[in-house]
Amino acid sequence: MTPTNSPQPQKTRAPMSLTSRVMLFVAVAVFVCSVVLGSLLQSAIKEHFAEQDAEELQVVADSVRKILQNSNISSEQLPSALALAVVGHHGVYFQVSANAQTLYHSPGSDLDWLLNQVTPQQAVDAEALSSWQSGEKTFRGTVIQGPAQSKIAVATEIDFHLHFLHHFNDALWLTVAGSVVFTLFAAWLGVRQGLAPLKQFSDNITQVRADRLQLQLDPATSPDELRDLVQAFNQMMARLEHSFQQLANFSADIAHELRTPLTNMITQTQVSLGKDRSSEQYRDLLYSNLEEQERLATMVSDMLWLAKTDHGLIKPAFKPLNLRTELQVVFDFFESWAEDKQLQLQISGDAPALAGDKDMLRRAFSNLLSNPIRHASANSRINAELSYSANSGWTIAISNFGDAIAPAHLACLFDRFYRVDPSRQRQGEGAGLGLAIVKSIVELHGGTIFASSEVAGSEVAISEMASSEVAPAAQAAEQKTKAALVTFVIQIAAN
Amino acid sequence: MRILIVEDELKTGDYLKQGLCEAGFNVTLARNGLDGFHLAMTESFALLILDVMLPDVSGLRIVQSIREAGNMTPVLFLSALDTVDDRVRGLELGADDYLVKPFAFNELLARARTLLRRGASQPAVQRLQISDLVLDLGKRQALRQGKKITLTQKEFALLELLMRREGEVLPRSLIASQIWDMNFDSDTNVIDVAIRRLRGKIDDDFSQKLIHTVRGMGYKIEAPLSDDSN
Repeated sequence: MTPTNSPQPQKTRAPMSLTSRVMLFVAVAVFVCSVVLGSLLQSAIKEHFAEQDAEELQVVADSVRKILQNSNISSEQLPSALALAVVGHHGVYFQVSANAQTLYHSPGSDLDWLLNQVTPQQAVDAEALSSWQSGEKTFRGTVIQGPAQSKIAVATEIDFHLHFLHHFNDALWLTVAGSVVFTLFAAWLGVRQGLAPLKQFSDNITQVRADRLQLQLDPATSPDELRDLVQAFNQMMARLEHSFQQLANFSADIAHELRTPLTNMITQTQVSLGKDRSSEQYRDLLYSNLEEQERLATMVSDMLWLAKTDHGLIKPAFKPLNLRTELQVVFDFFESWAEDKQLQLQISGDAPALAGDKDMLRRAFSNLLSNPIRHASANSRINAELSYSANSGWTIAISNFGDAIAPAHLACLFDRFYRVDPSRQRQGEGAGLGLAIVKSIVELHGGTIFASSEVAGSEVAISEMASSEVAPAAQAAEQKTKAALVTFVIQIAAN
Repeated sequence: MRILIVEDELKTGDYLKQGLCEAGFNVTLARNGLDGFHLAMTESFALLILDVMLPDVSGLRIVQSIREAGNMTPVLFLSALDTVDDRVRGLELGADDYLVKPFAFNELLARARTLLRRGASQPAVQRLQISDLVLDLGKRQALRQGKKITLTQKEFALLELLMRREGEVLPRSLIASQIWDMNFDSDTNVIDVAIRRLRGKIDDDFSQKLIHTVRGMGYKIEAPLSDDSN
């Protein structure tokens, strides 16, 4: 048999190979079918031979009976008449006896034992034939009731039948064996062919490396059965690539964020140590270093905080609280700063109590507000709108007029270290983790957050931005295109 | 006032000791948990500053043991761990406050002073005065050189906080937490703006400035003794 058909799982408990499984099943099926078919064929032929013999014996018995019944034949003529009865029948013998006296027996045979042992029958029955061996030959025969208490024993030689059957058997089992081998080979080939797309698939997958994650397989070229797998694989690769990209960016961003304050500190310190300076100058250096160090410490704490929420190490202390009250507290906190920048802070709407972590929510609101306050143009307004519905739960929408945010940026706003404008990174702002922290906090509360940026109608934009100077036309147009209603929407589902 | 620091990190321990000594405390430093526990049990301190992660006996164990022995000295934990569980466990075992590394030294100082003050009964003052600035807590009025100054509620609270802790440098985070109940690092300059506005009312019209910025640390209110104010 083929070498693959040796499905003995050795000591390693690996499951049987797919090829072996298929081959094993095919082999068993083909073998069972062939054996059943062969046996049926064999028994059919045997039966056919038996019937043939029975017919022949019946013919002989009939003619013998006829001769015995013929009253024109004298007892002297009887043997020669009986001898003629089997003319034309090869290898057929008979013996006639009446009252335990043998009247005739054809030459070359002795059927006494048959006459003694077998009960005479009216006709030859194929199923009731006896077979025996005498000398080199094999016979089959029976005993028939003759006229007037006589018994006729008939027998025929069946060696040539047996001979045929013998050859037939050989041929049959050879064919069966051959067909099993052939079928197995065909099955093996089929399985191999069938699994070829899988092999191709795995060859493709082996090309995946960290720097080559953009591999996508074409589902159109895969067989039906593999299409789902290919699609699932493609989706997995896309997700992996995205996460990997984020991780890579994240590391690069961390390095970048760390490098700037470190460079500042190193340069300042080296320059200061370059020559003797007054204690005032040394103090300045230390202050300056302290500022950078505090920035680094804040960034590390924020990153640590995010890492802990990622791993579920920070559990919010949920207590029922009123969102409007919390928003008001945060607005009060920002009030003086907003007044300083001539901004209005407004809260509208109300909502029933929510189980939340007071400090976390305040932190989220504070992070959401500090950017708009920092960048909003004078005299604009920052709105917080609160609503609740049984279906969508709590909704907090914080909106302000500011620079439009391109749709491409909107989805990434909550990514760590993401900045819409990379050049605007170190102007008193944090490390770009503020919105990521907001997102984590919202998610800890089972909510979602998204940002939208709608370019406002010109009138609204201008009245809201309320630039007192009459700007040159070009600048006004530019302002108009840039001004947009930027809204952060937090939704916390009711449950 | 005697403070015991139990801290195994050499540099941290040394600088904490130096900083607190220079802030006017009498500081004892233990480098491991056993020494710290022994000192806390045998000598009298006004405050214990314990590192949670010590190589031999953890800070949590020390607090538990001294509390079981009936020693109620205030305890401030320092820890690099910051899970709510740790915090809650520390506080449940009898710690009074908890600071997460990395912390600003002035934050530690401010918290230590708060804890030390807690023990002493505070006289119910009606009037706070620094130089010619008077804060009448009963009438909720601020007067400078006898002239009434109108303050918002938050400005009044801020001025009261500064004046109650006269001469003490208050970090921005402490001010945000005490006045606005914002208990997180808000990296905004809200406090700076609030102080600026308070200054506008308290100091701007007067030659003698009372509110001082301590660069890199925070704010304090103090009657100028010399002319080296910032």
